[in-house]
Amino acid sequence: MYAVRNWLIGGIAILALTMAPADSRAKSIPDSIKLDSLVNLYERVDFNHAKHITIVKDCAECHHHTTGTLVQDADCVRCHKNSGATPVVACKGCHAAQPFSAAALREKNRTAYHMDKLGLKGAYHQNCTGCHSKMGGPTGCQDCHARKKQGDAFYSAGVIAPKQARVDVKHRSN
Amino acid sequence: MKRRDFLKGCMACGAAATLGVSGKAWGIGSFEGYPEGMGVLVDLTRCVGCRSCEAACNKEQHLPAPDAPFDDKSVFEEKRRPTEKAFTVVNRYDTKKEGGPGGPVYRKIQCNHCNEPACLASCFVNAYTKTKEGAVIYNSKVCVGCRNCMIACPFNVPGYSYSSALNPVVKKCIFCYDTRLKYGKPPACVEVCPQEVLTFGNRNDLLKIGRDRIKEKPDRYVDHIFGEKEVGGTSWLYLAGVNFDQVGFDTTMANEPILSNVKDFLGIVPMVLTIWPALFTGFHLLATKNKNHTNHEDGHSEQEDHKP
Amino acid sequence: MNRYKANGVKTVDSHYKVPGKTKWDLKEKLLLGLTPWQYIIQAVRNPFNWILAAIFAVGLPLIAIRFIYGLSSVTNSSYDYPWGLFLTFGLFAMVPLSSSGFMLGTTVEIFGRHDFEPIERLALLNGLLGYLFAVVYLLVDLGQPWRLPYPMVVAYGPVAVLFLVGWHVATYLSVQVCEVSVAFFEWIGFPVGKQGVRKITLGLTVSGIILSTLHQGALGALFNYAPGKVHPLWYSSAFQWLHFFVSSIPGGLCMVIAVSTIVRKTMAWRCDDNFRDNLDKLTISLAKGASMGLITYLAIKLMGIAHDNKWEYLATGYGAWYLFEMGIGVILPLILFAYAIRRKMVGLIRLSAFLTVFGVVLNRLNTGMITFNWKLAEREIPTWREAIISITLFSIYIVVWRFILYRLPILYTWKTAGEIATAKDTARYYVPGEDTEPATAGSYRSRMEEGIVRPVRQWP
Repeated sequence: MYAVRNWLIGGIAILALTMAPADSRAKSIPDSIKLDSLVNLYERVDFNHAKHITIVKDCAECHHHTTGTLVQDADCVRCHKNSGATPVVACKGCHAAQPFSAAALREKNRTAYHMDKLGLKGAYHQNCTGCHSKMGGPTGCQDCHARKKQGDAFYSAGVIAPKQARVDVKHRSN
Repeated sequence: MKRRDFLKGCMACGAAATLGVSGKAWGIGSFEGYPEGMGVLVDLTRCVGCRSCEAACNKEQHLPAPDAPFDDKSVFEEKRRPTEKAFTVVNRYDTKKEGGPGGPVYRKIQCNHCNEPACLASCFVNAYTKTKEGAVIYNSKVCVGCRNCMIACPFNVPGYSYSSALNPVVKKCIFCYDTRLKYGKPPACVEVCPQEVLTFGNRNDLLKIGRDRIKEKPDRYVDHIFGEKEVGGTSWLYLAGVNFDQVGFDTTMANEPILSNVKDFLGIVPMVLTIWPALFTGFHLLATKNKNHTNHEDGHSEQEDHKP
Repeated sequence: MNRYKANGVKTVDSHYKVPGKTKWDLKEKLLLGLTPWQYIIQAVRNPFNWILAAIFAVGLPLIAIRFIYGLSSVTNSSYDYPWGLFLTFGLFAMVPLSSSGFMLGTTVEIFGRHDFEPIERLALLNGLLGYLFAVVYLLVDLGQPWRLPYPMVVAYGPVAVLFLVGWHVATYLSVQVCEVSVAFFEWIGFPVGKQGVRKITLGLTVSGIILSTLHQGALGALFNYAPGKVHPLWYSSAFQWLHFFVSSIPGGLCMVIAVSTIVRKTMAWRCDDNFRDNLDKLTISLAKGASMGLITYLAIKLMGIAHDNKWEYLATGYGAWYLFEMGIGVILPLILFAYAIRRKMVGLIRLSAFLTVFGVVLNRLNTGMITFNWKLAEREIPTWREAIISITLFSIYIVVWRFILYRLPILYTWKTAGEIATAKDTARYYVPGEDTEPATAGSYRSRMEEGIVRPVRQWP
């Protein structure tokens, strides 16, 4: 009878340990994140976070030092040598969706260090495609987000592309 | 004694007034842009040539449909320039590094919204205006079509709708002034750029950001912000990772605005208008001294008797 | 027309068909005193008119096409080359050649050299028509020519050099119209108008000099807007306006020589003795003036190169072209003028004048079109349509020239009533049987009130 109880406790313990997240302080790490800020032109991106965790392993590669792991970049280490994790880890927490709106420009603190912070769209693309081009991941626009019909209209491409694909040479120069 | 003191006081005040007043002792001075003037910092190390900016501009300014789709990369095979149908274009430059070919560098070309624009200085109907937000806009309602602005622009930016018979006018980037800049919003190309090649902000702040970027990553950038001083300074500033002449910039440009080249002539105009009448009337009086003058009223009538 | 004159047909050269009795009316004046049939016959027989007809047949429809379909249908003007043949030839080249108006006006009125009078009116007319047609070329080239008055009345951009050019050309055209109106009022029979203009002639002439100096220079200053675009040998940062102004002096004087040569050959019937007899002497005098202009121009061009230290460009391909332009347009004429003036070889002087005119035109074409955008890889060649329209407009210019010269007293002296009555009977064109109106001998020209005469040369 005690053997069953021990097995039960041990089984629950193992289950609890394996099913609990590695860092019990953090909120739950999403496996898939829906990126939909460009839905007017592109389909929503279902970002496979779990896959990237397995490939990249080090959170700091994408999240800088906000997850508590140290970053090696010489410019960042100057100030953030001993920085711990921040309450906000998601990209959109620090990178504004509208970095150049009148309000954002007004609020810009001109004496702070991160004056040159990228906006959300720029951060995604620079961080992601930067690494993708090194590691052989997708780098084309439609490799990550397919274009919708409105997107086709915007780019005068796809289904409504004009017939000839060459540039008009008549009134061009150099 | 009182009167003498009074006069002394007047002289002293007069001298102080003349000495203390003008900061313009060195000449006309230069215009650094309006203090609230906005600008865009274009970081060529980030551009991947997706041409979304061209698409956004086309949509925002209601330009005609292009000849090729905006995701067609074959357009990079030739060097393009802004036209009446495309206010901004992206060109690809295959650069060289020591020992072999470097990577492709893409450059976005559009009106640079100069501080002292050449187009504005050459327009005889005052069609161009430099707004306090920094944009150089034009009024197509007064444009006569002389195309002097196209001659003057050192960046070869303005296009002209030659094919229109009834209302051909100059066409160029206007910094999305009517629809966005007036309300403090960034232009369409800045908003759409996925790589955030374009950073929008106050021009003075952008210069600081640009210098900071160069300082932080000196291996990535060439130590020069193109447009900081060229032709008097422009609102659209460029950072690049290779020498600017490799990506199609004219690095022989002077730091003086184009207007400076004609200022000397313009200054001579009132001199001629004032000196010539006296000079030539003098010649006339001296040259016709021995001829008989009759009816010499006001020096205007000039009649001579020629008795055979 | 020469044939008619030889056969004794009387052409209009005074108010009176029959002295003291019948006056010519306007229609007869317009038809040169011929019957309509005679007029048509002489026009049809003239081979030059056939060439003109051919040019107009092709050119006039092209001009219509330009206005219906826009500039792109007839030019190669692109965004990099906004100014084509219309402007560089029609405006930039014709304006310096039309500086003769103020040159001869100054010579006669300011400096009191009345011996130049026989050619003064021709020079004034050359100036007027040249500027008028420069404006015509401009109207064909402008995107919206109906907006040409805008810088005068709608929107002012006074910082622009073109603003100055526009205002000055408009004002100067008025000045020149006034100066030529003297001949017109003589012809039309409006002595009050003539007196009125003569009273303000000095003021008109001085304003003409001021306006001409400034806009000839301003046309040069226009290229100061594009310092990197014009080839360094044709561009001078400090002296561009001076180069253009000084080159207009020999340009205008030699254009007068050129025009007077053509006129003397083709319109001999219209030229009177006063003109014909003095022409050679005046040609030599004009050539002297032109030589001084040319040597000055040569000097300031060299100074321009020295100022910006551009000597090494002379060794390039463009340098060779520059040496060609200076050689054939400046140095060769200088040598020929020096040789011919001393020996009074008028024919050689005339050849040299044509070369100078060619040189001035070539200089403007080079600055505005051929060496423009020298740093760009692509050169813009004007289309054949542009060339034909330019030729057509130039033909219209020639036709207007001819129209006015046939009628107004430019090449001949308008005879007053008194002069006809007292004329002597030793005329060149005296036809036996015609005893009522013999041509006068030793024609003279009256400069002011009727009746005062200054004979230039007396026939034995």
